Amino acid sequence: MGDKDDRSPKKKKGATKDMDDLKKEVPITEHKMSVEEVCRKFQTDVVQGLTNAKAAEFLLRDGPNALTPPPTTPEWVKFCRQLFGGFSILLWTGAILCFLAYAIQAATEDEPAGDNQALVIREGEKVQINAEEVVAGDLIEVKGGDRIPADIRVTSAHGCKVDNSSLTGESEPQSRSPDCTHDNPLETRNVAFFSTNCVEGTARGIVICTGDRTVMGRIATLTSGLETGKTPIAREIEHFIHIITGVAVFLGVTFFILAIILGYTWLEAVIFLIGIIVANVPEGLLATVTVCLTLTAKRMAKKNCLVKNLEAVETLGSTSTICSDKTGTLTQNRMTVAHMWFDNQIHEADTTEDQSGAAFDKSSVTWLSLSRVAALCNRAQFKAGQDSVSILKRDVAGDASESALLKCIELSCGSVRMMRDKNKKVAEIPFNSTNKYQLSVHETEDPNDNRYLLVMKGAPERILDRCSTIMLQGKEQPMDEEMKEAFQNAYMELGGLGERVLGFCHVLLPEDQYPKGFAFDTDDVNFQTDNLCFVGLISMIDPPRAAVPDAVGKCRSAGIKVIMVTGDHPITAKAIAKGVGIISEGNETVEDIAARLNIPVSQVNPRDAKACVIHGSDLKDLSQDQMDDILRNHTEIVFARTSPQQKLIIVEGCQRLGAIVAVTGDGVNDSPALKKADIGVAMGISGSDVSKQAADMILLDDNFASIVTGVEEGRLIFDNLKKSIAYTLTSNIPEITPFLFFIIVNIPLPLGTITILCIDLGTDMVPAISLAYEAAESDIMKRQPRNPARDKLVNERLISIAYGQIGMIQALGGFFAYFVILAENGFLPSQLVGIRLNWDDRSLNDLEDSYGQQWTYEQRKIVEFTCHTAFFVSIVVVQWADLIICKTRRNSVFQQGMKNKILIFGLFEETALAAFLSYCPGMDVALRMYPLKPTWWFCAFPYSFLIFVYDEARKLILRRNPGGWVEKETYY
Amino acid sequence: MASTEDKAANKENVSSWKDSIYNPRTGELLGRTASSWALILLFYLVFYCFLAGMFALTMWVMLLTLDDYVPRYRDRVPEPGLVIRPNSLDITFNKSDSKNYKNYVNHLESFLQRYNDSMQENNEECIPGEYYMQDGGEMTKKVCPFRRTSLSLCSGLSDTDFGYQEGKPCVLLKMNRIIGLKPIGDPYINCTVKKDHPVQMHYFPSEGRIDKMYFPYYGKKAHENYMQPLVAVKLLLTKEDYNKELAVECRVEGTNLRNNDERDKFLGRVTFRVKVVE
Repeated sequence: MGDKDDRSPKKKKGATKDMDDLKKEVPITEHKMSVEEVCRKFQTDVVQGLTNAKAAEFLLRDGPNALTPPPTTPEWVKFCRQLFGGFSILLWTGAILCFLAYAIQAATEDEPAGDNQALVIREGEKVQINAEEVVAGDLIEVKGGDRIPADIRVTSAHGCKVDNSSLTGESEPQSRSPDCTHDNPLETRNVAFFSTNCVEGTARGIVICTGDRTVMGRIATLTSGLETGKTPIAREIEHFIHIITGVAVFLGVTFFILAIILGYTWLEAVIFLIGIIVANVPEGLLATVTVCLTLTAKRMAKKNCLVKNLEAVETLGSTSTICSDKTGTLTQNRMTVAHMWFDNQIHEADTTEDQSGAAFDKSSVTWLSLSRVAALCNRAQFKAGQDSVSILKRDVAGDASESALLKCIELSCGSVRMMRDKNKKVAEIPFNSTNKYQLSVHETEDPNDNRYLLVMKGAPERILDRCSTIMLQGKEQPMDEEMKEAFQNAYMELGGLGERVLGFCHVLLPEDQYPKGFAFDTDDVNFQTDNLCFVGLISMIDPPRAAVPDAVGKCRSAGIKVIMVTGDHPITAKAIAKGVGIISEGNETVEDIAARLNIPVSQVNPRDAKACVIHGSDLKDLSQDQMDDILRNHTEIVFARTSPQQKLIIVEGCQRLGAIVAVTGDGVNDSPALKKADIGVAMGISGSDVSKQAADMILLDDNFASIVTGVEEGRLIFDNLKKSIAYTLTSNIPEITPFLFFIIVNIPLPLGTITILCIDLGTDMVPAISLAYEAAESDIMKRQPRNPARDKLVNERLISIAYGQIGMIQALGGFFAYFVILAENGFLPSQLVGIRLNWDDRSLNDLEDSYGQQWTYEQRKIVEFTCHTAFFVSIVVVQWADLIICKTRRNSVFQQGMKNKILIFGLFEETALAAFLSYCPGMDVALRMYPLKPTWWFCAFPYSFLIFVYDEARKLILRRNPGGWVEKETYY
Repeated sequence: MASTEDKAANKENVSSWKDSIYNPRTGELLGRTASSWALILLFYLVFYCFLAGMFALTMWVMLLTLDDYVPRYRDRVPEPGLVIRPNSLDITFNKSDSKNYKNYVNHLESFLQRYNDSMQENNEECIPGEYYMQDGGEMTKKVCPFRRTSLSLCSGLSDTDFGYQEGKPCVLLKMNRIIGLKPIGDPYINCTVKKDHPVQMHYFPSEGRIDKMYFPYYGKKAHENYMQPLVAVKLLLTKEDYNKELAVECRVEGTNLRNNDERDKFLGRVTFRVKVVE
């Protein structure tokens, strides 16, 4: 309306004038008035006439004394007719669909947010300020539970431990102290990093870096600065669009030349050219693809895979390499007691999440002693109010290994609190790095026994040094060389499993030296701390998740290489890798071979070893070629002690070799790799915000096994998208051929723009989407990942089938219906050729048909539009068969079955929609679609049947002759 | 638009462009060897031949089911349209320039050739005012004559210029042929000019009547020499009507035939413009 107002103000005047007013009789009353009255009314004078001023005023009021020019079609209306007329409407609909697709995408995305406080000391006073306002040089205090607001150099610390797992991947909290312990800033104890968490204790420090300059900030900047390539599905769709464009332009130009040869004018030929190109665009297809991906994303979200980027849905399906972080992804990110050594025997504890594993013999007296030591010499305790929660899931206040012990004892021996109540703590020396032990003194359970019980735990070798006896089968025996040897072997074995080993010992202090009420001084130790009795070893590990080995196995059989990339130590990494099957049983690393053959590592041919464990420091020195060599020649690879940058290098290396790489991780240290990967998978529970932001997909349950679901869904949707596209593209041929024949042989137009839209955006939509629900034809998890260079979403074979074969049959079906209707109404096919000019001549109102009847323009146009409707209905009919054959690419429909309920619904829906469009009263005016006689619905049936038979025959030959000509030419 | 898309399509193939057209090592042309091309082309040839055969078969079967005399459905042409001769809705001419209206005159003359008396010697006279029903009996139906002479002043016999020279042009009107159409009542043509004062008009045959004996029509094959009844209107324009565009509307009146359809402006009526330049 705005345009209209600006350009033609006169028009507005006319429009606002009340039409009813004009319809009334002439409202002149002046003829009844006297001359004086008339003069008064018009403020004029019979002699003098109007004054000049009045005349000017009235001219302004009434406008010039001229008739308003008759309304002509305004220029903008003409322009709009050009803009929206003919095939242009197809383009506009496409444009509107883009908005729709964007809206869907925008609605499915959401971003997390956070905000923080920091306690700084300024001008001698503690102030709570927003973490954003912290500056370098600020003195900062952190306590357990706080998030570290910036990189700080610790100046003083009291039992401070920080959880660096998001930065380095280490599961265990690291203690912080003012001393420099390592050259590497990431390893030294006196620096705490931005966005890590202080788990316990307090510390004070000076801010050395803030914002993007912090270690974390550098990683985040690196992450956001990374160029991410297009997703595989985006590349496929682009390739597909190129093919379609190529075909469209080829057809358009061919017919442009043909039109010129046939004697059309340049302008007409150009209009044909544009029309053909536009008609080739499958308007509904991109929307269909979006909807299919959205449906899969929804389905995956139900299975705990939240997809942030819609296109990532398919990426997992194409993935050929998964680089997985260890902590929290493969493992439970929770220290758990794995083994115990007592009575000179290694016992295995149950590490599964649901306690389904085997239990060990708990009857031994030594075990009772060991559990008592572990329970008493332990500061961890359950947080209150968790009685209903299963023991393993309870929250614990305390350090990771102590809580592991706590849970283990609580599980096997009952309430630890009761045990502690019975054995009141008298004195305690907490763990410190110089002693490397922790001890406490307790009263005994027996009220008659006035002796004190001293319990101690710590680094095994330190504990052993303090022991003179060892407990075996509940009896104390002197520690001889043999037992020391046994101890060493057990320690080595457990350590070799990547486990963290603690030694336990105790002693009952003699009553004579330490009578009841003895004042134990823990600062200046005034009691016996050696000649103790060694009880046993307990080793802990962050155990693999239960579902992971199975999931890794499934990935293997699906042809996906699983690489472990972790910041943790090589021994732990290797142990977990072996535990989850990343290094499969029987496969050795170079070091293993060297150890087995007893030769130096350098003499082993690296090709003999399928597995390898590579340390981050070695990785630093590798050239690009060496890196490629490793990635190419080892099937089972573990990278340990890797920095965030190295993770990135590993991902890039894999991508250089043509792999589509998925990266899983939860820490900030993983985020550059997550971003660089073709698909980054972050952990929903344990994952840091940075990693979640960098990722394309989030595993809500932190379960690696969900990735397998993702792979399966991704592969399925890729197959189903092929089917969906094959289905949708097919109807392009019956949509375009009518126009081509209209141009070449001058017949009345068999299919109009509106009806084309009704197919593309109406009847074809639901069936195309329903193919997304199609079940897999074979076990898609048993085949190799697709090769992105070779296995395209849309290839020339799909085009050949859809356009060259099925589409052609469909077009014939449509044309048959067209000819039937015209012939049955009097226009025989022989007469139609070349009739176009007369047919479309508005002033020719006595066009003669084959029976001598004469038709007005409107009458024959109604027949033409009935033909459009019939052509449309015929396409629906042949699309039934197309939908059924598109269900499978290789199998017969009879093997696949018709279990897809949505598809069956789609069949009925498109038929109902077609019937509605044809029979609903008012459609003749609204869409120019006319009711069909029932018999006309059956015109395309033979062709529909032919499509089905032809394609079943094709698939039969395809199955009978694997790799034969039919497969090479028609398997899409 | 075409050119940009063309470029986009080409860009992707640039890397392997030369090889993908002709690869001298494998002898591949556009990615296929000669035998591969031959095989796929042969397949498509056979496939399309089969399709053409199938299409021809279905068309043949369909044509077999059709009647030669009457189309299967006639519900799309229930009512006749009204058409004028000369075949133009905008009759503009200079009455003093014979070249100017020659086209119209020639057109009318050639159109009326069929109505020459000499052409109608075989036709038997029919009973005026009654439908000439010929159901049953022979397939070839008899034809009622419509003589050119009945158009009198507009027959072009006495006045070979059909009144165009004197500025009083004749316009012929005919109702579209529709098989089996039997108008109820007495059809006649009535024309009006949208103008302040009426223009005199002369109708031939008198009162613009269309005799019922010309109905029903039995179709091209049965009624080969069917004479379509005509009505001529001579617009008796006067001097003051010259140089003005006159809108003339003619309707079929006196019957059940529709002449006021909103969408189809030619159903039982026709509107045309006449402008005579002096």
